[in-house]
Parts: sequence; structure tokens; C-alpha cells
Amino acid sequence: MHGLESTGKVIISAVDNLRDTLIFSGKVVRRLLHPAAYNRATRNVLVNQIYFTSVQILPVFLALSVVFASLLVGIVFQSLKTLGLAEYFGHVLMGLIVTELSPLLTVLLITLRSSSAINAEIAVMKSNRELTALEMFRIDLVDYLVVPRIINGMLSMVLLSSLFSIVLMASGLLLSALIFDMSVDVYTNILLNSTSFSAIFIALVKCAVYGFFVTLIPIRFGLRATRELTSIPITVSRGMVNVFAAILIIEVLSLLTRLF
Amino acid sequence: MTDAHPEQTAPVGADVPLISNQNVMMNISLIKEYHENWTKAQTQAFVSAGLERLGMSHIANRRNPALTAEERFCAMLLRAAMIRNALIVIDRPFQIFPHLQDATFLLGALDGISDLFMRCFILDYCWMKDKYGALCR
Repeated sequence: MHGLESTGKVIISAVDNLRDTLIFSGKVVRRLLHPAAYNRATRNVLVNQIYFTSVQILPVFLALSVVFASLLVGIVFQSLKTLGLAEYFGHVLMGLIVTELSPLLTVLLITLRSSSAINAEIAVMKSNRELTALEMFRIDLVDYLVVPRIINGMLSMVLLSSLFSIVLMASGLLLSALIFDMSVDVYTNILLNSTSFSAIFIALVKCAVYGFFVTLIPIRFGLRATRELTSIPITVSRGMVNVFAAILIIEVLSLLTRLF
Repeated sequence: MTDAHPEQTAPVGADVPLISNQNVMMNISLIKEYHENWTKAQTQAFVSAGLERLGMSHIANRRNPALTAEERFCAMLLRAAMIRNALIVIDRPFQIFPHLQDATFLLGALDGISDLFMRCFILDYCWMKDKYGALCR
């Protein structure tokens, strides 16, 4: 009976959590669509956020992309050759690696670097009463803090995932020449024939959805911090667990979208 | 005070801190950029002039933890003065600079930017009135 009660509590808490996240999402989407949210201060924050998330990370992101892409493409191409499935390499590269693994690896990198930072930043601001100070100056927290971070999250995810895909395809070009002895023309032809634009569109939409939630959830959990400094690590840890849960849910939903 | 431009409360106090991940310039500029849609160049010129009048030009690029108590107070005061038709309410100023003996510094700072706000109220405990000297008599 005790086990049943605990399970029920966990489920109720998870459902409440999901409902709160969706309600907060609705509020943020309404503000995203409201022209009044885009004042000069919000635009300045957006520029800073894009710099911190997409520009500052570029050297590390490019280096990691080259390493990941070469390893991934190398292993997959070698396996295809061993199994005698070389003719399917275009479909595997575009259908699996570019449209599925590329957004997933990008969102993991963004989450590790930016989501945790956003969660801690908002929690510290809440704990220091800086959010109260903003409200006392009649500054809307959603407009000033949430809207630019969400837009940045969506933009950065789409752009960085696209960059990752380009690095993947460049690695593919190099490795296909080494492993399959393939020319550039043949490689390009195979890629174009294997490209499904609906799959690319779904991948881009998925990137934007990833970007929305890996930014929104840390902000929401950061806002739950209290005046006690000890609440900061707790909110960051809970926020990050929820971000990873959200990534899994989005991945499953996107797979379902492809199936039906 | 008119209906078109009513006074707006602009708080200064230890409970209304500066944003710690922004420097003084950004903290103060934020008010004009958010409420009046001023450009970065406009606000920076305006805030720089305000800081200069308070003798605090050197703190423009510093963040909250790097400020002395007096510098922090000036930044908070100038931020409050950025509100249009500001009615500045200074809440227990000696919580911000507890080491000062009297209100000379506070009154000097208010005098320096007196044209930037409409009125100013200072709220403090009655047992602190000696610190305000002639202001309370």
C-alpha cells in the first residue's frame, strides 16, 4: 500500500510539473507573439544572449563537431562496408545522422553549456532579490528575461545544429573518399538523392522545439529559488533533470511524427 | 504633477539591489531602454553625464560586487532617477553605507542630480534622525 501511495505521489507530482510547464509555455508564447515585448532593452539582451550561446561557443563547438562527426561517420561507413550495405550510405547519412543524431548531439552540448548557466543565473537573481528589484522598476520579467533567452535558444539550436550537419557532411565527403573511394560528384549525387526535405523540415522544427524547452525549463526552475542560497543548487539540479526528460519526450514525439 | 506625466515611484535601498551580472552602465541604462525605448548610444551618453555629475565616471564598467558602498548608492540613485518624473524613495540609506556618520554624502549626491527627479523621500527609523542633522529639524 505504501509503494502504491509513493508511486501515486510521484505521478501526481510529474503531472503537476508538466501542467505548470505547459501553462508557463503558453504565457511565454503569448508574449513572444506580442510586439510590445520587443523593446530596446529586450533586443539588447537578445544580442548578448546570441553572443554568449552561439558565438562564444563556436571554436569549442566546431572542434567537438569535427571530432564527433568524424568518429560517427567513420564508424557508420566502415560498418556499412563490412556488412555490404555501401549503397545505403546516403540514406543512413541523411536519414539517421544528419536529421536525427545531429540535433540530438547539438541539444546535449547546448544543454550542458547554456541551460545550466541560465538556470543558475536566474536562481541567483531570484535569491539576491534582483528579480524583485526589476519588478519594482516595473520591468516585466517575462519580456526582459524570458523572451530574449527563448528566442536565442531556438535560433541557436537551429543554427548550431545546421552547422553540425554541415561538418558531418564534410566529414562524410572526406571519409567516403577514403573508405569507398568515392568522388565528390558521386558523393553529392547520392546525398541529394537521399535527401528528404520533409525530414529536414521536421529536424529543423524539432531543433526549434528543443531550443524552446531547454531554455524555458531552466528559467522556470530558476524562478523557484528562494532567498536561501542553498536553494540554488537544488533548483539547478531539478531543472537539469527536467531538461533531460524533456529532450527524451521530444525525441520520442518526433519519432512518432515520422511513423504516422 | 499632471495627469499626462504623473510622478512614478523610484526606489533606492538595500532591498532593491543592482543586477549583479550587469555593469553599472547597463543597470542604469536599462530603465530608459525598457520604458522609453532609448537607443544604447542615447542612454550611454545620458548615463555617462549623470555619473560624471556624481563624480563616479570610473564606475561605469564595474559590476555590483566591485563597488564601494558610496559607489553602489550613487549607481542605485542614478538608476532611480532614470524613471520619468521620478519620485525617489530612499529606504534606510544607512543600510547601504553604515560606516558614514551623517547624511552629508547622501545630500550631496541628491544635489548633484536634483534636476533629474521630481521629489525625494527618505525613509528611516526615528532613532537615526541625528544623522540627518538640519534636515530633521
